[in-house]
Amino acid sequence: MTTAKKILANGIPEQEAIDRAKQGDAECFEALYGLHKRRVYSLCLRMVGNTAEAEDLTQEAFLQLFRKIATFRGESAFSTWLHRLAVNVVLMHLRKKGLPEVSLEETLEPQNEDGPRKDIGARDNALVGAIDRVNLERSIESLPPGYRIIFVLHDVEGYEHNEIAEMMGCSIGNSKSQLHKARMKLRDLLKLSQAERAAKR
Amino acid sequence: MTCAEFQKVLPYIIDGGGSAEEQQHLATCQVCSDLIADLRYIAEAAKLLVPMEDPSPRVWTGIQESLEREGMVKPARKHV
Ligand SMILES: [Zn+2]
Repeated sequence: MTTAKKILANGIPEQEAIDRAKQGDAECFEALYGLHKRRVYSLCLRMVGNTAEAEDLTQEAFLQLFRKIATFRGESAFSTWLHRLAVNVVLMHLRKKGLPEVSLEETLEPQNEDGPRKDIGARDNALVGAIDRVNLERSIESLPPGYRIIFVLHDVEGYEHNEIAEMMGCSIGNSKSQLHKARMKLRDLLKLSQAERAAKR
Repeated sequence: MTCAEFQKVLPYIIDGGGSAEEQQHLATCQVCSDLIADLRYIAEAAKLLVPMEDPSPRVWTGIQESLEREGMVKPARKHV
């Protein structure tokens, strides 16, 4: 691991590491891994919510990356390319596992779709200023998988709805409505934990 | 426009847009503007989440083994 750090800390530009990795340079594979592993792993972990699976997927994402690295032409940033590839690896894995909600079709809690919103007409404590990181991470983890994926892709990773629609094979409108439901669910979870903490005081 | 009607279109206008009528509802309805404030706050908080953990060393070991098995590493530069 120190090798990777040294290479990059010594100022070898990422582009050079990529070029040398294309030639099969072991040090540069490791350097690229060292540079990007944390972000890729965290993406996988947030999407699947399970350490062992996230590690397998991280491994698979980097292997696919290295197998394809010769085709990387630099039209987009290397990290953008890698992260997109990692998302695809995760989505593929989830589809294989047979989670239908990954298609983002309206399979999740459809009963809520047109049901009464308990928010309507009732004011309650605002969340603003009250979320801490640990709580948010925990709440994201406890989202249903379909919601978690859309939320992580859009709000945590910063993908646009059109990109998500393309990756998930759904419409942009569908991506927007699922994101909204995910945020609403998260809001419920956060308010719940806020109330629990208040009760303990 | 009622809150229910507003909240039904909310997913599509939260990032901007919305008709004059929708803007009007938002400007005058505390419940819906609180809701939007919460949802935007959640989205903002999510943006600040940074990757915190590294994968265990077994991940790199696995990658390295596969790279070598698949002949992707040039032997001359292989290091231990
Ligand atoms: Zn309202």
